[in-house]
Formats: sequence, C-alpha cells, structure tokens
Amino acid sequence: MKIETFFAFFTLVLGAAISVLSWGYGFGSLRRPGPGLYPFFIGVAIAVFSAFILMSESRSRTRKPLLDKEGARTLVLMTLTFSLWIVAMPLLGYVVVTLLATYAFCKIMKLEGWWKPLAVSAGTALFIYALFDYWLYVDLPRGLLG
Amino acid sequence: MEGFALLYSGFVNSLTTVNLVAGFTGALVGTLVGVLPGLGPTATMALILPFTLPYGPTTGLIMLTGVWYGAMYGGSTTSVLVNIPGEAASVVTCLDGYQMCRKGRAGAALALVAAGSFAAGTIGILGLQFFAPVLGNAALSFGPPEFLGFMILAFVLLSNLSAEAPLKGTLMIALGLFLSTIGINPMDSYPRFTFGSETLMLGIDFLPIAVGLFGVSEILSIAVEKYVKPAVSKIRLSELYPDRDELRRSIAPMLRGSILGFFVGLLPGPSTVISTFVAYALEKRISRTPERFGRGAVEGVVAPESANNSAVMGSMIPLLTLGIPFAAPSAILLAGLRMNNVEPGPMLFVTNPDVFWTFIAAMYLGNLMLLVLNLPLVGVFARIAVIRPQILLPIISVISLVGVYSVRNSLFDVWVMIAAGVVGYFLRQWKYPIAPFIIGVVLGPTTENSLRQTLLMFKGDVSLVVDRPLAITLLALAAAFLAYRFMAAFFWKKYAPKVEEGKSL
Repeated sequence: MKIETFFAFFTLVLGAAISVLSWGYGFGSLRRPGPGLYPFFIGVAIAVFSAFILMSESRSRTRKPLLDKEGARTLVLMTLTFSLWIVAMPLLGYVVVTLLATYAFCKIMKLEGWWKPLAVSAGTALFIYALFDYWLYVDLPRGLLG
Repeated sequence: MEGFALLYSGFVNSLTTVNLVAGFTGALVGTLVGVLPGLGPTATMALILPFTLPYGPTTGLIMLTGVWYGAMYGGSTTSVLVNIPGEAASVVTCLDGYQMCRKGRAGAALALVAAGSFAAGTIGILGLQFFAPVLGNAALSFGPPEFLGFMILAFVLLSNLSAEAPLKGTLMIALGLFLSTIGINPMDSYPRFTFGSETLMLGIDFLPIAVGLFGVSEILSIAVEKYVKPAVSKIRLSELYPDRDELRRSIAPMLRGSILGFFVGLLPGPSTVISTFVAYALEKRISRTPERFGRGAVEGVVAPESANNSAVMGSMIPLLTLGIPFAAPSAILLAGLRMNNVEPGPMLFVTNPDVFWTFIAAMYLGNLMLLVLNLPLVGVFARIAVIRPQILLPIISVISLVGVYSVRNSLFDVWVMIAAGVVGYFLRQWKYPIAPFIIGVVLGPTTENSLRQTLLMFKGDVSLVVDRPLAITLLALAAAFLAYRFMAAFFWKKYAPKVEEGKSL
C-alpha cells in the first residue's frame, strides 16, 4: 500500500471512529439535537470522502519516491531539533536553547563553516531575548540563566 | 456624513505611533515575504500573530493585513527580475514581467506594478469602505439558517476552487470541522473526543495548528529541497520611468484589474491567485494585439498585479460583515480578532465600529507606505531575494517555536505545532490543500451553532427552509454548483477522448 493510500485509509477509519464515538455522546433528534449529532455527520462525511479518494488512489499507478535519502535525513533531523527544543527549554531556558537550536538548524541545512552558524544563532538568540524581555514583556522560562 | 466622521476618527486613531509602526512593520515584513520565494503570506501572518496580541485587535489587524497586502506588492519583484514568483499570486506576472526585464524594461515594469498596486489598493479600500457597512447592516437581519447557507456555499466553492482534486479539498474541510469539535462543547458543556485529558478539554488551539501547517511545513519543504541561487538583474533608480506608450497602455488594464480583483476577492478560495489569472485572461482576450502577451506586454504585468491587491480588500468583506473567512489569510485574521475578544460579523459595526474605521484609515496609510517603500528600494529588495534559506529558515524556525509557546506558555501547543508541521509537509506532497482545513477549523463552531439553532428553530422540520428565501437561494446555489461539477466531470470523461481524436484527425 502506498503511504498516501494509507493516509486515505487512516482517515476512513478515523471517520468511522468519530461517528461511533459521537453516537455515544447522544445523537438526540432533529427536533432536539444532542452533542453527538454534528460530529456524527462530520464523521460520516470524512469516511465517505476518504472511501472515494481511496478508490481513485488505488486506480492510479504512478509511483514516485516521496523523499530521497538526503531529504529524509534533513526532515528527521529538523523534526528532532524542533522536539529537542521543547524537551530542553524548561531546563536550560529559552535563550540558551534558542541559540543551540538555531546552530543545529544552520548545520542541518548545511550552512558552511562554524562562524557563520554561530553568528546567526547568537544574533537570533539576542533578538529573541530583546523581543520578549524588553519589547513584549513576556516572561519565559530562563532555566540556567534564571 | 456619519461615515466621513467615522473615517476621520479612524484616521485620528490610526495616526498613533503604535498603529503607524504596526502598519509599517506589516508592510515591510509583507514585502520581504513577497520578495523571498518560499514562505507565503499566510505562514508569515500565522507566525506574526502571537506578537500582535499584546497590542489589541485594531493594531493586530493593521499589522497582519499589512503583511498580506505587502506580500502582494513584493511578490512581483522576483517575478520580474528573477522569473521566480515570490508567492502564488505573482505566478502570472512572470509571463510578461520577466520578458520585459530581458528587454531592459524591468524598472518600468516594477514602477508600473507599484503604481497599479497603489491604485488597486485605493480602489479596493474604497469598495470595502462603502460596501462593508451596507452589507453589515443587511446581515443584521440574517438568522441561523442564512448563516448555515453561507457556510455550506462557502465550503462547496472552497473545496472546488482550492484543490486540484475537489474531493481532497472537501475531506480537508471535514477534517478541520472535526478538529474544532474536540473539547467541551459550549452549547451543552459536554466534553467530546477528550479521552479524559484535561489539556484536550479546552480544545486544540488554532494558532499552533496554523503555524504548524503553514509555517513549519513550508520550512520543512524548503529545507528538503535543493537550493539553486537565482541570478538577479540590477536596477537603477533612473531606469524606473516608464515611457509614454507603456504608461498609456497601463491605465485601462490597471482600472479593469482593480475592479475585477475586488469582485473576485468576494469568492471563497485563493481569490488573490484566481484574480491574477482572470485579469490576465481578460486583458489577452480584449487586446487588439494578443500575440504580444507572453513576450513582454505591459498589460499582462499591470492587470494581474492590480487585481491581486484589490482582491485582498474584497476578501475582507465576507470576513468583516459575516465573520466568514473565504481564504486562509482571512482565517488567520479572524483568529487574531477572536483572540482579542472581537467577533467580526454584522455586529462589528455596532459594537466595535472603531476597529473597522481605524483599519480602513490605516489601510489608506499603509497603501501609501508601500508605494514609498517599494519604488526607491526595489534594488535592495531584489538583493534580499538571493539571501540563502540556510540563514533565514533557522531564524524563522526558532521564532515560530518561541512565538507559539509564548501565547499560553504551553509546551503542548508546541508539540501540536510540530505534529501539524510534519503532517502538513506530507499533505503538501500528496496535494491535499491546507487552506480548506484551516477554514474548517475556524468556522467549525459557527457551523455547529448555526446547524443546531436552525434545527431548534424549525423544530426538526428541515423543509421549513423554503420559507427563508436567502437561505434556500444559497443552498440552491451550492447544489447547482455541485451538479455542474458532477456533470462537467461526467461529460468530460465521456467525450474528452473523442475530442482528442477529432483534433488529431
């Protein structure tokens, strides 16, 4: 099964699940609609449209790889850096983590050398610090710099 | 006279430092976004939205619309100089704009585009200023069935106009409507699809979804692509003057494009993009020398660029008068207003007239700022177009992370943003349109309220809708459009091969 066909299959199952769960919330009647009526019909619509897409996708024979090895590597590393920012931010504080994350993003995107990525990340961290602390007055976790 | 008094007070409000800075910043950021291929106006508006929240609804609206509007101005620069559209609404400009550049008329093309955009913007704002309050007053008499009718017609048109495959567009709307049901339903305080999670009780916030689907997914798409540095033609200030013939040929297309764009802007879907194609086709059709199109015809540059600017203002009408966004950028504007506890719709002109009139006045000023900004700085913007994404994307990535976190101090929101970004990346690859999903999320609660109130009003007897002339007309239009699409698809499949055979004979 192609991965995009799998997505249509996933939304088909999701639509069915939404309808089943909605029925449990109380369908009511057309005269006195319950909390489940609206999502029930949304679920049915999702399932029906997904089924049509699934049928047309299964007829299509075009197959081309979504990502090459290099692209897949970039995608995984970018997602990982985004996720690590969330995990590390409460511990290290937003300034330090922003500096490290920007450096990592620069290197993942192959910004050559070390001083250019360092300059970009230091400048960005400084800008974000000035923006949130001095302009917007938003209190963000400071972690180590606490 | 009351309108002029309100407009005057709008000018007084918009001439505050904070509103002028917001207008200028929005216009500048928008122009930069338009110039830089990749990140579009919707993504930028979503990224900027958290930073506008401390300044209130009017300032936020001015800044965000400035971005949208500025992107329409800036998008033409790279289309003319590099043959790369800065954003989707400037694709058509490449056809004749780049050809003018090759003939050494790039400066004239950009000057005429800036003048055309200014004229179109002014015509669009005038249209908005006069039509919106009238329609807003008319909309005061609309009830839940009429709003439901508008919503259904918008969904039908949107799914058909924004996707290559309408079924995928429709599925995306339905998924957006589903997402909006997660959390406690305010009508009967019943938790739905929360699975006992306290975080989900409040529902899934719009902002992380929008930043993820538009911003992060675009960042991922650009990061994965291989970057090729474009070659940019240099422009001197002295080259910005169009000759007499170019000027003469531009005036009528400028006016036609402005008026056409405004009315196309009223349609659901990517109206700014559609308006450029329609304006180009119209100019080519009525031209006495259609063979010049594609070879550097100034009409082919000015008309589409005027159309996309006035389409922005046209798109504001359904948003401000009905509270229904017909395009993805207006969905972001709606979310921004709601985050500031301002509900656009017919009551806006009664409860918050200052928001509307300050916005109108600020748009006049913003339009002027863009003209002043774009003409002398065109050379600078052209050089910005070649800044590598390896420098820009890391900065935008961390701004999106900190921005989304800062709104509710919620790490859950940041996880939602990343998940939406990765899912959005794959949806783009599989040609699932993102805009209908976002509009589904924003309009979900209103759609459900309208549906349930309509059913309660009619006591379950849906046939009573025939007693509501406007509601039944809207539903009939939606049904007629669906029938047309179905018939067209059926007959196209049936007869298309024969036509091809006929041609080959």
